[in-house]
Amino acid sequence: MSRVRLYLSNDTSSCAAGAERLAEAWRQRSDVELVRTSSRGAFFLEPMVERDSSDGRLAWCHATADDLPKILAGDGGIPVSSIPFLSKQTRHAFATFGVTEPLSLEAYRAYGGCAGFRKARQMSPSAIIEEIKTSRLRGRGGAAFPVWKKWEVAATTAADRKYVVANADEGDAGTYCDRMVMEGDPFRLIEGLLICARAIGAEAGYIYCRQEYPVAAACLRAAIRAASEAGWLESDGQPFPIEVVSGAGAGSYVCGEETALLESLEGRRGVVRARPPHPAQSGLYGRPTIVSNVLTFATIPNILARGGAWHASMGTEGSRGTAVLQLGGRVKQPGLIEVPFGLTLRQVLDQFGQGMADGARLKAVQVGGPLGSLFTDAQLDIPICFDAFAKADAILGHGGIVVFDNETDMLELSRHLMAFVADESCGKCVPCRIGSLRAREILETVQRGQATEADLSLLTELGDTMKAASLCGLGARAPYPVLSALEHFPVEFRNRMRS
Amino acid sequence: METFLPNALDDLLIRARPAQGAPPNILRVLHAVHDLCGYIDPRAIPAIAHSQGATEANVAGVLSYYPSLNTQPAGRHRIQVCLGESCLANRCVRVVEAIQSKLGIELGQTTPDGQFTLEPVSCVGNCAVSPGVRIDGELNGRVRPSDVAGLLDRYR
Repeated sequence: MSRVRLYLSNDTSSCAAGAERLAEAWRQRSDVELVRTSSRGAFFLEPMVERDSSDGRLAWCHATADDLPKILAGDGGIPVSSIPFLSKQTRHAFATFGVTEPLSLEAYRAYGGCAGFRKARQMSPSAIIEEIKTSRLRGRGGAAFPVWKKWEVAATTAADRKYVVANADEGDAGTYCDRMVMEGDPFRLIEGLLICARAIGAEAGYIYCRQEYPVAAACLRAAIRAASEAGWLESDGQPFPIEVVSGAGAGSYVCGEETALLESLEGRRGVVRARPPHPAQSGLYGRPTIVSNVLTFATIPNILARGGAWHASMGTEGSRGTAVLQLGGRVKQPGLIEVPFGLTLRQVLDQFGQGMADGARLKAVQVGGPLGSLFTDAQLDIPICFDAFAKADAILGHGGIVVFDNETDMLELSRHLMAFVADESCGKCVPCRIGSLRAREILETVQRGQATEADLSLLTELGDTMKAASLCGLGARAPYPVLSALEHFPVEFRNRMRS
Repeated sequence: METFLPNALDDLLIRARPAQGAPPNILRVLHAVHDLCGYIDPRAIPAIAHSQGATEANVAGVLSYYPSLNTQPAGRHRIQVCLGESCLANRCVRVVEAIQSKLGIELGQTTPDGQFTLEPVSCVGNCAVSPGVRIDGELNGRVRPSDVAGLLDRYR
């Protein structure tokens, strides 16, 4: 009896949605050859089973174990290419997701992997940096700093050692694209690290992986072993070790801030360092260090392979390339979206999210994690790019989009977000340490019905101080979601004031 | 000190001594101890400090900074409920309430029989299939309050 090859995602969220149960049910069957791939990111359709056909892959969505006879007979599958959520996207960093096995170096190569690194090996460090400059790539972790500038500083700073650090502390609630890269395409991250190392002359790399991502850490370790056996992890006879430091942040959110991350990597409290000097000049153990988030590194290989001009040809004036958005909350179709910068938030929610979940009405959209501003329905025509968001006092952050419905209590959400910052503040600077605590207390006073107008004025004043005087983005951004909630939903606060 | 330090911990701390000229790394040792014992007994602080050539205050400072380094043993099964924004939007609070009422404990507590510890977690990156509940490392997505009883029964 011939075995039918079925493809099933091995991504943590796919498994959480039921893919693992299918795998358990079908693993022993003699008529099924199960291939575990990365996820396409259309999580609203998971668990999704695919098989090859003359029309490309066919998909069975929301599959159950009982669907197997149907799938084996080829009945009822839809061509993956006909799923609008996927066909409307422009996939580059995520081009092979859902197609390949994450730990197959052969598959990685077959779909164009390694081409960037091969090219970089033939280029001088300054030519690599020039290519990144041409690409106009900005960091994807949240700060949106031009990548080439950092690399140039690290490359031209004299030191006995230099380091490359992948920030895999994807702590912003509502984001998961780094997790998907690490679990689904780990060689791309490794390739990006190798290219950066060559450009700045680094001798070792670290991947600082958060505790909440155990599967990602295991995938990375396996990928590093495979890459090492394939001879990747050396350059001109010099070894380039990459270490996965997993569980690193031990639950601390602020360890995703680059200087706190470096403190934590050195084994100390994850407390923010004052800048300057920036890590590119003086980072890990005081040496020039490039710290960039996972997606940034994963974007690099294509830029080298296809040229900086190719990357710069996509997107908007100040935001070149593709935006990787992660849609969550009360939308009909949550999932991963890669599109050129420039679509509006409303277009993303309508075209990909397909509106609200059944029975829900939109109340607010938070973009950019727990420090991101809240948008109301009237504000959704903002283009998705760094500059438009900066102009609106908002952040694109790491691309997380969470949609809240009409049942959401905005006062409680504000309290939750401020309590989060108060818990996570590293304590180094007063505006954040004390400000977040006092702000949380004021919001709790409002909840108890004991607040007056003076308390709300104090909340705004505290917010202004935190914005202006905090040492890092945690304290400086913390007031935005709360003050934007107060601005857009004043009734929810004022109705609960002391009369 | 020897009276309570299990041999395995002793060995670990000897191996964790930084090599000549290498910087100490307190967090790394704490992770190793945590992996070995499941928690970090504060009575081990002096020995950890000694192994790293650090002060006890240094070690206690690092230990108290990181939320998931526990100083008490957890229950047999660890339940982590995600309280990230997408989970909140999808009513994870009701799931938390269902678990609390089923187990009779609050967030951060362990059941009296030592079976379950209930912990909040700020985001597990499962936002597209939220709300998420992780039990002993196994993540469950799209959890409804009505799923809670069946979910927990699998671990009894």
